[in-house]
Amino acid sequence: MTFWKDAGFSYLKYVQVASRALRSVLKDEAKIQALKREETVLKVSRWANGKQGELKFVDPKNQH
Amino acid sequence: MFSTAASAKAVSFLAGPLSTQTAGMATLKEIQIRRRSVQNIGKITKSMKMIASTKVPKAQKIMESARVYGAASNGLFQHAQTDFADSKKPLVIAISSDRGLCGGIHSSVSKAMKADLRKNPESTVVVLGQKVKIQLSREYRDNIALHFEQVAKTIPTWDETAAIADIILEKAKEEGVDSAKIFYNKFKTIIAFETTSIPTFTLEALEASPKLSTYEYDDGVLANFAQFAFANTLYWAVAEGNASEMAAKRTAMENATKNAGEVIAKLTLTFNRTRQAAITNELIDIIVGASAM
Repeated sequence: MTFWKDAGFSYLKYVQVASRALRSVLKDEAKIQALKREETVLKVSRWANGKQGELKFVDPKNQH
Repeated sequence: MFSTAASAKAVSFLAGPLSTQTAGMATLKEIQIRRRSVQNIGKITKSMKMIASTKVPKAQKIMESARVYGAASNGLFQHAQTDFADSKKPLVIAISSDRGLCGGIHSSVSKAMKADLRKNPESTVVVLGQKVKIQLSREYRDNIALHFEQVAKTIPTWDETAAIADIILEKAKEEGVDSAKIFYNKFKTIIAFETTSIPTFTLEALEASPKLSTYEYDDGVLANFAQFAFANTLYWAVAEGNASEMAAKRTAMENATKNAGEVIAKLTLTFNRTRQAAITNELIDIIVGASAM
């Protein structure tokens, strides 16, 4: 049950991977609707000592 | 000599009052240019208002469904009576966006954050959205640990919020955070929003809940649930913030269009008065010139 936990995934990452898998196997009509929910252009920047870090794209496919 | 003067005036009269210049008063041309530019601005703000009003119901629908998620996971915390102990390492999260022209949305969140940071100057800060990041980074640069941009670019999705929640949780573990608060704009009505904060609980706080024993659960489920509840609460806050933003943008654009209309009315009056004054002056010149003959 916790194979993903042993592999170092958090619950949220596990859920994200599982949802991607589910969306990719849906039938055409439902798939189009579902893929809209997958679209993201999120960017994150880690700060240190009051300095803004580089803005990096959060790639949903890159899980680690 | 007078006749040539009179005919010269007659020619200039034929050229029209647009070419007349009166020292000290704006020329008709300037007023006309200004009026036209304000009219264009009015058209732009009107169309922006239309766009925002079509986005509001959609944003509201997403917010309603997000509320269900948030209320469900927070229901457990209420029943188990989870509570904060005194927090030594608090985390505060600000929900805003990158988009401007939406009224007082972003400044409202910044103000609430600053008030909290004055009480707890050691808090770690996470900001969603460029606008609040810019405002907070003036005074509280050293507190900011993370900031996100392009959040909810089209619509808020649980998937994206879960990714954000995951990054925040990782950072929170690094910093040894023991409590978290989310500042967001709660959607009250289409013309009113309220900046509030909502607490989220760590796994430790959940495990220490007094009434937790009334629940039956397997090992490891609590840890998963704590993460899931955090993602839900974050999603709820982002969805409400998004709905408040669309409504505030609609109101701001409506006010801008109304103001533009008022400026146009005022300028039109000034234009007509100036035009009539110019014609009157021309007439006086001609009549005086003619009567002198």
